Amino acid sequence: MSSVFRILLRRLAISVIVLIGVSMLIFAIARIIPGDPARIALGPNANADQIASLRTEMHLDEPIIAQYGYFVADVMRGNLGQSLYTNRPVTVDIAEFLPATLELVIFAGILMVGLGLPLGILAARHRGRWPDHLVRVGTLLTVSAPSFVWAVILMLLFAFYLPLFPVAGRLTDSYEIARVTGFLTVDTLLAGNFSAFVDALHHLVLPSIALALSGIGQAARLTRANMIETYDKPYIEMAQAFGFYPTRIARRYAFKPSLIPSLTIIGLDFAAMLGNAFLVEAVFAWPGLSRYGVAVILRKDLNAIMGTVLVIALTFLVVNILVDLLIAFLNPRIRHSTRASS
Amino acid sequence: MTHLLDIRDLHLAFKGLSGLTEVLHGIDLSIAAGERVALVGESGSGKSVTARIVLGLLQEMRNARVTGRVAFDGADVMTMAQKDRAALRGTEMSMIFQDPTSSLNPTFTIGNQFAEVMRRRDPKLDQAACDARATEMLTEVSIPDPGRVLANYPFQLSGGMNQRVMIAMALVNNPKLLLADEPGTALDVSVQAQTLRLMHDLVEKHHTAVLFISHNLGVVREFADRVYVIYRGRIVETGPTDAIFHSPGHAYTRALMDAVPRITGAGLPAVPEVSDDFLAPMVRHDGGAS
Amino acid sequence: MTRALRIIAANPLSLTGLILVLAIVLAALFAPWIAPFPTHNSAVVDFAYANSAPNGRNWMGTDLVGRDIFSRILYAYRISLGLGIVVLIIATPIGTIVGLLAGYLGGWTESVLMRLVDVFLSIPPLVLAIAVLGVLEPTLTNAMIAVTVMWWPWYARLVYSIARSEREEGYVLAAEVIGAPTTHIAFREILPNCLPAIITKMTLDMGFVIIIASSLSFLGLGVQPPTPDLGSMVAEGARYLPDSWWMTVFPGLAILFAVFGFNLLGDGLRDVLGADE
Repeated sequence: MSSVFRILLRRLAISVIVLIGVSMLIFAIARIIPGDPARIALGPNANADQIASLRTEMHLDEPIIAQYGYFVADVMRGNLGQSLYTNRPVTVDIAEFLPATLELVIFAGILMVGLGLPLGILAARHRGRWPDHLVRVGTLLTVSAPSFVWAVILMLLFAFYLPLFPVAGRLTDSYEIARVTGFLTVDTLLAGNFSAFVDALHHLVLPSIALALSGIGQAARLTRANMIETYDKPYIEMAQAFGFYPTRIARRYAFKPSLIPSLTIIGLDFAAMLGNAFLVEAVFAWPGLSRYGVAVILRKDLNAIMGTVLVIALTFLVVNILVDLLIAFLNPRIRHSTRASS
Repeated sequence: MTHLLDIRDLHLAFKGLSGLTEVLHGIDLSIAAGERVALVGESGSGKSVTARIVLGLLQEMRNARVTGRVAFDGADVMTMAQKDRAALRGTEMSMIFQDPTSSLNPTFTIGNQFAEVMRRRDPKLDQAACDARATEMLTEVSIPDPGRVLANYPFQLSGGMNQRVMIAMALVNNPKLLLADEPGTALDVSVQAQTLRLMHDLVEKHHTAVLFISHNLGVVREFADRVYVIYRGRIVETGPTDAIFHSPGHAYTRALMDAVPRITGAGLPAVPEVSDDFLAPMVRHDGGAS
Repeated sequence: MTRALRIIAANPLSLTGLILVLAIVLAALFAPWIAPFPTHNSAVVDFAYANSAPNGRNWMGTDLVGRDIFSRILYAYRISLGLGIVVLIIATPIGTIVGLLAGYLGGWTESVLMRLVDVFLSIPPLVLAIAVLGVLEPTLTNAMIAVTVMWWPWYARLVYSIARSEREEGYVLAAEVIGAPTTHIAFREILPNCLPAIITKMTLDMGFVIIIASSLSFLGLGVQPPTPDLGSMVAEGARYLPDSWWMTVFPGLAILFAVFGFNLLGDGLRDVLGADE
């Protein structure tokens, strides 16, 4: 277990470096904005004095390094500044909108793993026969359209033509659920309101499928490719020579070694959904970070833009660390390495 | 004479883009219970596929066409249902592979893999019973600290250790027939010799029949009672090991014997790619010719 | 080359991809001659035919102001393909040089360059592009800049991993032993071995750039109206679902066909060139 701990430490150290880099990148993006940030913040009717005093307040007259220093110091104190759009601290805004996005992404992630991996195994086991061809063409189709196209198509088919699922939103208006975690599937259960829980799940179906489709395709294609590579390994022939059933060989002997190299990419795909959630949320009027993000971008609300990107990058890093730990846990070669991995 | 394994007129062909390619052109081979038989030939001669047919693995491949008779312990492996063939593998017959380390699954412990193999014979065995029996087997192959080895993964052990583990694993269910495909070729020579000695003693003790596949006549001489020489999908010569070594009858056998490096020799003589002599028939062994 | 074509043609899937890609490239090139209503790529109105379902005159229907959807899709392909080509032409050399240097030189160069790449890869691709476009004006040029900024690190990582393993190969050692200069080894010895992977990735990425670019314009951050773009057409039409379905479904399918074509072709190329991902 100690080497898993060592990997965690190493990973955290790298993450700190990367996070510093991300903060610089975000700071740089914010500084390439054309025009004077103070003028943009105050709007076209501000006079010169007001602009000058805000420039001082925002440290805009100091050297760029010092400006970055103030930015980092604020971020470390959990202060992402005020949003010009909502006139609230950016942290408050993010805390309000992030859970809805995370809930959507987590459900899509479950679909991605729960459907993508079995489809990949199926295709690899029947390599070159019709289940394989079907999975290959099907998954290639799902990765060939952005999630908003799938969102529109799913909505048209299963919300309008066959009204099986709701068109928009997270919950039917008639339910009043006290906000605890911001995750409606959790809050409804905490409130003991089971029918509201079912309603929340019902609202999640189409958006999470739309968001997951390309990830399902990626995961299936990757699993298939790695499984096929594993099937050529001597230990699979040995398992065959010892008479194990093909299903057991696929699920136990071939799957585990091929899962490990797939996991990193699946983790990246999962995290990429944080970006694609913007598109799906727009179609299904999902009250998540996207509506906020697009609104603040269109208003050139710098603090809010930087805060949103920073929080997403942080979530992305956390997911990657968790995936690395999972790999270390699953891969005995890492878990039992006597030397610190280079 | 009753045979444990009796192969008659075995043909194998692969379907490829350019039609059928025949790889085995009518092989006859038999092994009595407890007998150690070697099948010797160069790579590509058809020796490994023969072992895979005995195991019933090639019959399940869609692009392979196998004909002939393969009787194992009185039952015909060729006409058997796929399920019954699978039931024989790992229980009545088992196999040892060329490269021990890459033939053991890297994601499971040795103990775990042992238990899986033992449950092929008796699905109800619990972990403790499996560990006890595995420890016993590992001691038989002279592994000093069986408890530690059982908790290890293959990549934590040396190639020689893994080789012993694989021998123990192949014999743990007391199979009647052991197929050994170039065992230990991936190891260095001294380790290989040691483990072969061990395997020799073990199969003798357990009265296990062995089909030993090799290109190395030196190793074969140490190990086998009887030798079949295979060349390009045909058996060209067969007989007791000593007889073959003292008076090889077939041109190809002589060429193979010249290829065994000797300390006093003057380097490696070249085995010609093909020679008309090699294709000349010599013997159809023990009653194989009808 | 002819051998490659023959292998692709022998596989029905790759052949389909090749045909789709050729059809889309030709449609984009000759849009002004093929489009039934070549003027509909701008802010014209034709209210007599506004919001009409697919029919003999307008095969894919018309939008709210009566512009022919089919004609606009053909013009939108010009934008998508043009953007994809520009992005890849800029991003690929940058990423390749960074990856090659990091992979071959190792040491400090490797640490600094690859940590930089990690930084870019730690922000989900779409979010990075959205952030860059958020502070710039949403125009086609800026969309190209934003997508290029998010794209080069992926090539850097690909080339880096190949270069790092090639560094250990005998032919590199041999070149070092005879005293070949570093640039020669990096660009003349190692780079050719990265090319199959790069070419395969570029083909697959044409599709992926189309996805990202249409996603940006779907959010209103890319090409601005009245210039037709597949993403903004879907966004505009989505407000009139389900009645005016053709306004969203046809541009959506247009994206699907284009990307599917590049993906099929890329898969086929990977088999021909023997490149792994």
